[in-house]
Amino acid sequence: MLKINNLKTSVNDKMILNGVDIHIKHGEVHAIMGPNGSGKSTLANVLSGKKGYENSGEIVFDGENLNDISIEERAQKGMFLAFQYPLEIPGVNTNNFLKTSLNTVRKAKGEKELDTLTFLKLVKEKSKELGIDEKFLSRQLNVGFSGGEKKKNEILQMKLLEPKLSILDETDSGLDIDALRIVADGVNTSKNKDNAFLIITHYQRLLDYIKPDFIHVLSKGKIIKTGDSDLGIELEKSGYSKL
Amino acid sequence: MMYDIKLNIENISSKEKKIREEYLKIFNKDGFPNKKSEEWKFTDLNKIISNNFEELKTFNQSNEFKTIEKVEDFEHNFIYLINGFLKSHDFKFENKKYITIKELESTADQNIKTTNPLINLNNALFTGGYFLEISKNYKLKKPLIVYNYFLGDLKNKITNSKNSIILNDNSNLDIIELNIDHSKDNFIYNNYTNINIKKNSSFKNYTLQGSDSKGYFYKFSKVTQDSDSNYENYIFTSGLKFNKIEENVDINGEHANCNIQSALFLDNNSHQEIKTELKHLKPNCSSYQKIKNVLNDNSKGIYQGKIYVKDIAQKTDAYQLSKALLLQDTSEFNAKPELEIYADDVKCSHGSTSGSINEDSIYYLMTRGISKKDATDLLTKAFFLEIAESISNTEIKKFVEKNLDKQIYGYKKN
Repeated sequence: MLKINNLKTSVNDKMILNGVDIHIKHGEVHAIMGPNGSGKSTLANVLSGKKGYENSGEIVFDGENLNDISIEERAQKGMFLAFQYPLEIPGVNTNNFLKTSLNTVRKAKGEKELDTLTFLKLVKEKSKELGIDEKFLSRQLNVGFSGGEKKKNEILQMKLLEPKLSILDETDSGLDIDALRIVADGVNTSKNKDNAFLIITHYQRLLDYIKPDFIHVLSKGKIIKTGDSDLGIELEKSGYSKL
Repeated sequence: MMYDIKLNIENISSKEKKIREEYLKIFNKDGFPNKKSEEWKFTDLNKIISNNFEELKTFNQSNEFKTIEKVEDFEHNFIYLINGFLKSHDFKFENKKYITIKELESTADQNIKTTNPLINLNNALFTGGYFLEISKNYKLKKPLIVYNYFLGDLKNKITNSKNSIILNDNSNLDIIELNIDHSKDNFIYNNYTNINIKKNSSFKNYTLQGSDSKGYFYKFSKVTQDSDSNYENYIFTSGLKFNKIEENVDINGEHANCNIQSALFLDNNSHQEIKTELKHLKPNCSSYQKIKNVLNDNSKGIYQGKIYVKDIAQKTDAYQLSKALLLQDTSEFNAKPELEIYADDVKCSHGSTSGSINEDSIYYLMTRGISKKDATDLLTKAFFLEIAESISNTEIKKFVEKNLDKQIYGYKKN
């Protein structure tokens, strides 16, 4: 589904990613772990198409080279990035935003846009699964939401948009155990043989709930080790410095 | 460029003719104001008119007619104006004996002494307009929509009109002024409105642009407020090629409140200015102004806001803020706040910000599949929401929000 080949990324001549290779197949869950400043979030941003980076190498998503594909087209093609710090956008109603987003993506996929009633029914159902209070949906997007509520809102968007590839950028940071479990359940119940996940995290604890097929260790802009889920447990014990 | 504007109004007395000619003489001496005048420093009207009008002819009658496309969103009374002339009115929801509505008598008022060239021109040439008076203790049950239509061949025409609105003690009136332009070419609309809000009365005005327009609008409102009165003016005139609104408010009674707000989306090189002069003449009054602009392309927005507080006007609470979002490097916004305070126990604040749209917000919305244009529109609407939200009448609020959508996402082409 996703092939990252020799991806090099720099900002203002400072090299951040120094030749990253990751291949993700349908139905797989990959985790990227690594110390602060290793380039984890940069990788997520570059995958999403964010401007301001100088890139070389290639990112192929579902057989298509993403080099010249804009941010919104990547999303429409089924790529989703759950933000580490979801933005507060005053004045934009959460429900309105969710509906606009969902219908844009549906339209791009050639699916019928949802009318307001069908949408509201769907969003209610999905919110309930994630334990999101309905009143948040009529509030301004993420404004005054707690850290946990913002992260749950990201997962809600993921569940609505049903992306092929979900990239979770430190979704576990700032979550208490209950919220962590809800987020993990959100991923586990969305998982199927046709989609895939790339989970970026500092800690093993999210991986106690979401069992990855592969763990990659990113350090100084390079993948220095790849292993199965046991690698996470090992890292938790001995830290990154031993690698 | 100077225009030779002639007085070609028929059926007036020789006395009136003389008064009007006097005003015209004053106007013709200097012509349209240019940027050398402090009041017009950001709006060089003479240049703007020279660039867009080959000639100017006075427009003084209207035989055009079109059935009103009525607003279906809420029940309302209405006044129907065509090219500034009162065509019909309907106050079916009200007890008519408490309402006076008629064509404004075409008698030039000798007493308006002013250095404002547009008012002098209006005094000389005005035809049409309406007179509306609400009796003491009468509160209208439904809002009033003023359908302000522009029809027919108005090319290179200047139409001048005067309105007068009087609210007697303890009365209430909400007006939605809806500008709809079905003419095709550039024209000038010069309006002078006199508003008198007496004791304990409330007048709320909402000006909405219901279509794109090549009209060049100038509207001067002279407002006088008595004690315990409330005046609110909401301006949503996006879509006009050129617009300058002047609000001159005398807060001349204690415990009165004045509230002016606007949300303007300026596109297609349009030019709009809001200029206010609020005079706090009595103690214990409050005023609130919030002016929001989103500017695209080569558009230009201006806010000149002056607050004057007389020495006896203690405990004045005056607030003024303008905020602008510039979508392009070529967009321009100018703000000139001015405070002139002679009382020592007052609360006056003013502020002005302008900047570009938040790129992180755009990025976030785009990662959700939303295009840059749609993301910008969403954020523009979000920026205006605060103004619409502060409208207390739910029906009008909904109508304004719907209209804002049209203004941001483009008017339906007829």
